[in-house]
Amino acid sequence: MKLPIFFLPFSKATQRAARPMSRDKADTLLLLLACALVLAPHATQVPPWIALTAGALLLWRGWITFRGNRLPPRWLLLPLAVLTMAGVYTSFKTLLGQEAGVATLVLLLAFKLLEMHARRDLFVVLFLGCFLILAGFFHSQGIGAALLALLATVTLLSAQLSFQYTGAAPPLLKRLRLGLQIVLLAAPLTLLMFFLFPRIQGPLWSLPGDAQTGRSGLSDIMAPGNIAQLALSGDVAFRVRFIDPAPPRSRLYWRGVVLDDYDGRSWKQQSEPGALTPSAIAMQPQGSPLRHQVTLEPHGKRWLFALELPQSPPLMPGLPTTIQANGALTAAQPIHDRIRYTAVSHVDFTLQADAAPASLRRWLALPPGYNPATMAFAARLRSSASDDWQLANAVLRHFREQPYSYTLEPPTLGRHAMDEFLFGTRAGFCEHYASAFVVLMRAAGVPARVVTGYQGGEVNPVDGFLTVRQSDAHAWAEIWLAGRGWVRVDPTAAVAPHRIEVNPARNLRQGGLAGVINLNPAARSWLASLRFNWDAINNGWNQWVLNYSPDKQKSLLESLGFNEPDWRTLAMLLLGGGAIIAALLAWPMLADRRKIDPLQVVYSRFCKTMARQGLARAAHEGPRAYRLRLMHPSCGLSNDKKIAAERFLSCYEAAQYGTVSASPATVHVARLKSLLKQCR
Amino acid sequence: MSLLFSRGSGLQRRLRQRLDRWLFRVGAPEPGEVHLHQRRVFIIPTRAGLAFGLMLAVLFIASVNYNLSLGFGLTFLLAACAVVDMHFTFRNLAHLTLVPGRVRPVHAGEEAQFTLHLANRGKRDRYAIWLGFTGAGLPDVQQAVDLPGAATRTQLLGLVTARRGWLAAPRVRLQTRFPLGLLRAWSYWQPDMRVLVYPRPEMDAPPLPLEGGGKADGSGGAGHDDFAGIRAYQSGDSLKQLAWRQIARMDGLHGTPLVSKHFEGGGSSELALDFTRLPATLALETRLSRMTRWVLEAEARGLPYAFRLGRFSLAPALGPAHQDACLHELALYGEPEAR
Repeated sequence: MKLPIFFLPFSKATQRAARPMSRDKADTLLLLLACALVLAPHATQVPPWIALTAGALLLWRGWITFRGNRLPPRWLLLPLAVLTMAGVYTSFKTLLGQEAGVATLVLLLAFKLLEMHARRDLFVVLFLGCFLILAGFFHSQGIGAALLALLATVTLLSAQLSFQYTGAAPPLLKRLRLGLQIVLLAAPLTLLMFFLFPRIQGPLWSLPGDAQTGRSGLSDIMAPGNIAQLALSGDVAFRVRFIDPAPPRSRLYWRGVVLDDYDGRSWKQQSEPGALTPSAIAMQPQGSPLRHQVTLEPHGKRWLFALELPQSPPLMPGLPTTIQANGALTAAQPIHDRIRYTAVSHVDFTLQADAAPASLRRWLALPPGYNPATMAFAARLRSSASDDWQLANAVLRHFREQPYSYTLEPPTLGRHAMDEFLFGTRAGFCEHYASAFVVLMRAAGVPARVVTGYQGGEVNPVDGFLTVRQSDAHAWAEIWLAGRGWVRVDPTAAVAPHRIEVNPARNLRQGGLAGVINLNPAARSWLASLRFNWDAINNGWNQWVLNYSPDKQKSLLESLGFNEPDWRTLAMLLLGGGAIIAALLAWPMLADRRKIDPLQVVYSRFCKTMARQGLARAAHEGPRAYRLRLMHPSCGLSNDKKIAAERFLSCYEAAQYGTVSASPATVHVARLKSLLKQCR
Repeated sequence: MSLLFSRGSGLQRRLRQRLDRWLFRVGAPEPGEVHLHQRRVFIIPTRAGLAFGLMLAVLFIASVNYNLSLGFGLTFLLAACAVVDMHFTFRNLAHLTLVPGRVRPVHAGEEAQFTLHLANRGKRDRYAIWLGFTGAGLPDVQQAVDLPGAATRTQLLGLVTARRGWLAAPRVRLQTRFPLGLLRAWSYWQPDMRVLVYPRPEMDAPPLPLEGGGKADGSGGAGHDDFAGIRAYQSGDSLKQLAWRQIARMDGLHGTPLVSKHFEGGGSSELALDFTRLPATLALETRLSRMTRWVLEAEARGLPYAFRLGRFSLAPALGPAHQDACLHELALYGEPEAR
């Protein structure tokens, strides 16, 4: 088979055959089922018209098989295929790249099923199927996706082997069992290769722009509603394993992006502060550092999360990271793969206590002409407060004492959003409180900024990992106080202190669902423990399967007792393990070997001995005829050899053909062996 | 099997034979039952298997590039499945027992049917084993056979014969691609079987030389006079020989059987098939062909015949043993008796 055949929908070389190759309808239907399983994960990922076309083609093929009709002629298929390819080009503006490539493969597989005439076409279907199973992993690499892929693989192999029978094929169940048997026997070798095959850190070439799509996470703009949306998502943002003892939940602030620029509606990071050396962020830590390992889900942005405040950027091979002056961590490239890093943070620190006033001016900017009532309120507070800290506390007290409420579904706000929120709706979410607080502080002349990130997380009692979900997304404020530097103020805590203690979404939903499903981990319901177990499985999957990197491979080998493992160690282990597995696979074959009778062995040795003396046994001669010939006077055998041969053959005859022998076979064999010596 | 050398020049052929002997252990015919032990079974990827390997490489590169852990998993799983397939394909053929069967003599130009017995002494079912004769100038005809566990299958392999004499069975090739078709396991077997090919009976041969003198053209009415009785009509009997009187007398209840008059020569006119009496101008093979035809015809007509060929001579007789003895001589006339 030539290489391009994989990518060509129609091979010129395929001869036209009158009938589809299906010997058995069941074979073809099994193949169709396998293809349906292969295509299933793509159904929602490709444009709807492609999914519909592929589904229609599969149904068409199923109908043809069921009715025993002819396959459609090429003059019908070719224009259809060209048409759909043109459709792919219009949809994606290219035929290259990941999404267009997958869409093309989906259509090719569907069309190929309608154009199967020779054995080779079956292989083309198999290969296209394998490519599509792999392509399915672009969307999801979860346990569910893996199981579906495994099911598709077993079905595809069963379909493939179904076509290899020449006589009557065994029943479907037996063929599926053979397919499953192949996969199960392949499992040990697969695991060995998975863990020991030297891993190469990709990518080999720059990923196309569309490689990562549809990832959710914290945005770099805090517009109204952004975080509220996230708060409803149960997706995992990152997982943390604490190397040092974990701080209490109320101190788990995971710093993300620091926002400075306010346009009256949304906050954003105006300019990216230059990368600074760790000392230049001017942090004076107190207490011992907290080491923790973060496994970050890809979010398509450049920032990394760490417990605040990281003392230095984490080290990752191939991915330079920096720490910014505002304490945020960024990577050199957007995070498109799950990564893991160890961060060293302080929860007690003094940050930039002696900052120059000029450098603080940017943290005071407010858009002119917005929120007049808020400005007036800030001026009032300013005049009544003796210092900045008292001012901040006055605002927090205001939030606490006035009827502010905490909701994930706040009313929409108009042009003077802060005025409406502070004096009108009084209902909002962390982003509203952080935003209002920072605006008030700035209006009152206190340098202030919004920090977004995550707060809290959930410890899984099964494996001890702390899981931080998108629903833990949070926004808080920082104000700069003379002598104390940047101080974190969480205005949401003033309104809804439980937000800092337990997860908001869960807490809020209890109104509606509390009676039915209690997801509060404290409740220890069977559902909660099920969820924790599932989470632990998922995390183990992430740690051991999806995040299995060259580093992880190295640490695995080191934990197995190999010092300084390199590719040679891997190759040695791989070859050694492979040889053992191959031997185990071959073992039943060796055991299947014909049992050789020791009596036959010694008899054939006797015949060989005689043949060397020019008295080979003829093929038709039995032991008695042979003996008569050897005893014949014309036979040129010396006298004592003649006697030995005579005895040998009579003994052999008795042992082989005699009735129940008095002496066991082993005695015969021993006697024959001694007689054989005399014949030499 | 033109992997390394195509059949071409003499040097290549010799190299090819050396390679066959050394690598595939092809040599003298193996008498009796043959067990396909592991060293006799060879395995190599099919073209589809090579393409599969290429596909694995592409899958691997894609997994590296997109950092797909499950992509690695899939690639390694498929590779491991190919390894398992290799074992399955190998064991589908290994430890098969082959037993040569009988083969009946045929006339040149006919197809000889070699009977081969395949015995599966193991418990495992074997599927889709293709077997066929292989050798230079032989058509690549193969038959598939399935062998359930602990079963024996008998397979007939046809071989078109061209010339008289002993014809040794060509090498038998057994191969299988089961279960996945990614690899091909094969083995050779040179069964110790030969078939005796009788000469081709001459088409449009002159009639039997029924008169004792045996005119060269074999025609003439002599011998027809010594009426010896009637017998059932046999194809080849001339209409003149039909015993019309007897036919008319018979009851036509079950369809009147035709009977022929049966003539028997006296001592002087007995049927003697003597090679030396054939005109020497004819080619040797033509003369042998004619003798063959006459033997068959004499048998068919139930006329006892004496047979003389070179130093071999048989008194007049009839019957399968007589016929076979005569045809045996005709087949091997001028041939070395050894194979």
